Amino acid sequence: MNYIQTLRTAKDVVTPGMSACQGCGAELILRRVLQLAGQNTIVCVPPGCLGGSGVVGWDYQTGMEIPVHIPLLTNTASYLSGVSRMYQRKGRGDVNIVCVAGDGATADGGFQSLSGAAERNEKILYICYDNEGYMNTGFQRSSTTTLGSHTSTTPLGSVISGKEQQQKYLPLIMSMHNLSYCATASPSHMADMVAKIEKGLAWSKEGFAYIHMFSPCPTGWLYDIDQGIQIARKAVQSNFFPLWEMENRKYRMTYDNKKPISIADFVKDIGKFRDLSEQDLAAIQSMVDDRYEKLKKLSSEADCNE
Amino acid sequence: MGEIKAMTGNTAAAVGAALSRPDVIAAYPITPQSSVVEYLSDLVHNGSIASTLVATESEHSAMSVLQGVASAGGRAFTATSSQGLAFMYEPYYQMSTMRLPMVMALVTREMISPCTVWGGQQDAMSVRDAGWIQLYAENNQEIMDMIIQGYLLSEHKDVLMPVNVCYDGFYLSHLVERVDIPEQSKVDAFLPAVSFDHVVLDPLRPMAVDSLTSGEVLMRYRMSHLEAMQKTLDVLEEVDEKFYAAFGRKYGGAIEEYRCEDAEFVILTIGAMTGTARDAVDYCRDNGTKVGLIKLRYTRPFPQQRLIKALAGKKGFAVIEKSVCYGWNTGPMYVETRSAVSETLSGLSHFSAIGGLGGADISLNHMISVIDTLQASLNTPGQKQTLWLVKE
Repeated sequence: MNYIQTLRTAKDVVTPGMSACQGCGAELILRRVLQLAGQNTIVCVPPGCLGGSGVVGWDYQTGMEIPVHIPLLTNTASYLSGVSRMYQRKGRGDVNIVCVAGDGATADGGFQSLSGAAERNEKILYICYDNEGYMNTGFQRSSTTTLGSHTSTTPLGSVISGKEQQQKYLPLIMSMHNLSYCATASPSHMADMVAKIEKGLAWSKEGFAYIHMFSPCPTGWLYDIDQGIQIARKAVQSNFFPLWEMENRKYRMTYDNKKPISIADFVKDIGKFRDLSEQDLAAIQSMVDDRYEKLKKLSSEADCNE
Repeated sequence: MGEIKAMTGNTAAAVGAALSRPDVIAAYPITPQSSVVEYLSDLVHNGSIASTLVATESEHSAMSVLQGVASAGGRAFTATSSQGLAFMYEPYYQMSTMRLPMVMALVTREMISPCTVWGGQQDAMSVRDAGWIQLYAENNQEIMDMIIQGYLLSEHKDVLMPVNVCYDGFYLSHLVERVDIPEQSKVDAFLPAVSFDHVVLDPLRPMAVDSLTSGEVLMRYRMSHLEAMQKTLDVLEEVDEKFYAAFGRKYGGAIEEYRCEDAEFVILTIGAMTGTARDAVDYCRDNGTKVGLIKLRYTRPFPQQRLIKALAGKKGFAVIEKSVCYGWNTGPMYVETRSAVSETLSGLSHFSAIGGLGGADISLNHMISVIDTLQASLNTPGQKQTLWLVKE
């Protein structure tokens, strides 16, 4: 079955009435991940856009057809470690133990528990939807926010304009935890994303699997709501968000970008990058080029071992 | 009688936990608790117990892992102290508000600053309003017994709250005493397998746990939690009786009264200092002073009715504590004790005594000085100055 047939037939277990913004990348990611995980799944959605948009539930009503819990911003991976250990004890290791968390709950406040659970190789599939900021609380910066971005805590001021630091590149950090599986994915490349979610689910029965997903955010990034997939595609095409995976400790580029477009082209229709200085633009381009080279080297080394 | 062994308070806690057959033990080392989890790690690694061990990267994660374990229907154990408890506070609070049962040994220790690693009860007292049941043990036998009792209480259908078994860092954690170890078969008969269904994470029974909740509904959760806390006052007495029937040891429930019947006035103690207080009471009794002792065993729920009864007809009381209550210039349990007996307070002489902070000793002379000071003030009812038990 190809990925379109898979997604056509797999049941959507998330409430149709969730209150995410129009064009939300995170909603798309959540629905696809849980469609593939199916009903034999326990999911945690920590505080963030998804936690705030009614997918857990409201008062006595549930937001999903599968067991769902909103843990703390800071403890999703630890909490699910406990759930996972209990399911191993029950002899029900077939149950998918899944997290869908934003970059704040993943790269910032939740990073310690994430790193701990990854190092212990807990049997969990951890999905991060990275929209580069704390969008649910009003578009504040996070450690994955790109240099020069205009957010509500890195505003355009007369003295300082936008974020002053480069982003933290979390997926590569995660891959160095001796994970079973680590990958990046983008909703613009759905066949690739579906394959990686399926691999992640399978690997989560062996140990910790991590997938870092590009999650375009029209409300926080300031672009037209129908442009999300196009922006995600340009993020991949510009090497701003390279697609790769690590499996059995071997790295592999899953999108061979022969003719990358420029970062200037990627950022031009995104409002949070308006007034990006030439200096910042050059710095982002340089960081992106450097990162892509490093990833390619990692991948080629892995290939040489085969 | 079971096997008799000499052991530290931390070993007693670990053995009590092991006898309770937890599904998962998750912990992070911290002075003076570390040897609890070290002992349990040995048991797991040598195959002596069937529990799963999760050595987390922090106390925050230890409590979070166990929240996941309990959500999936398992029995959970951990131990911590002081700064570890402070770091754990976020999931610690949620453990009680999710009404999940577990037992945690809280090896009480002073809070920084200035830097200290020694005893005190400030850590436990600082979280007294986090919805946990909190009880204090006086000796190593009581530590072991209360960990086992703690599970029965915590998992009781009318309770469903996590339990802190608190005991003094170093004074008990590292002190060796004689302990009568309950037989496993008797513990198994006393403590049935954990079973509850208000929180279940299971694909066979899909449930949203912790949906976004409006204030009107949330207040029902809090009302129910507070009511269960009051109900616990009865259940803990039942559990004490049941334990007595099974193992022949009885602790008196929420408080223990020592030589109170004909006493004119009483001192109240918490935890290991009670041993010294017993000797002080005996000594003063020998000299004709009609003093009694109340050992406050449970602070959450607070045993108001038991205290009203125990203090009826007395002329005064002093509460001796290893912690402070900022804003009151007293210890916290002094404030709660005077509140408990507020209807008869005007006729009583009373004060707070604070000592033993940061591992300092509370000596026999300190205890006698509290008794003497209280006795000297009995004819003038009202609150007296806080007495600091510093080096004589």
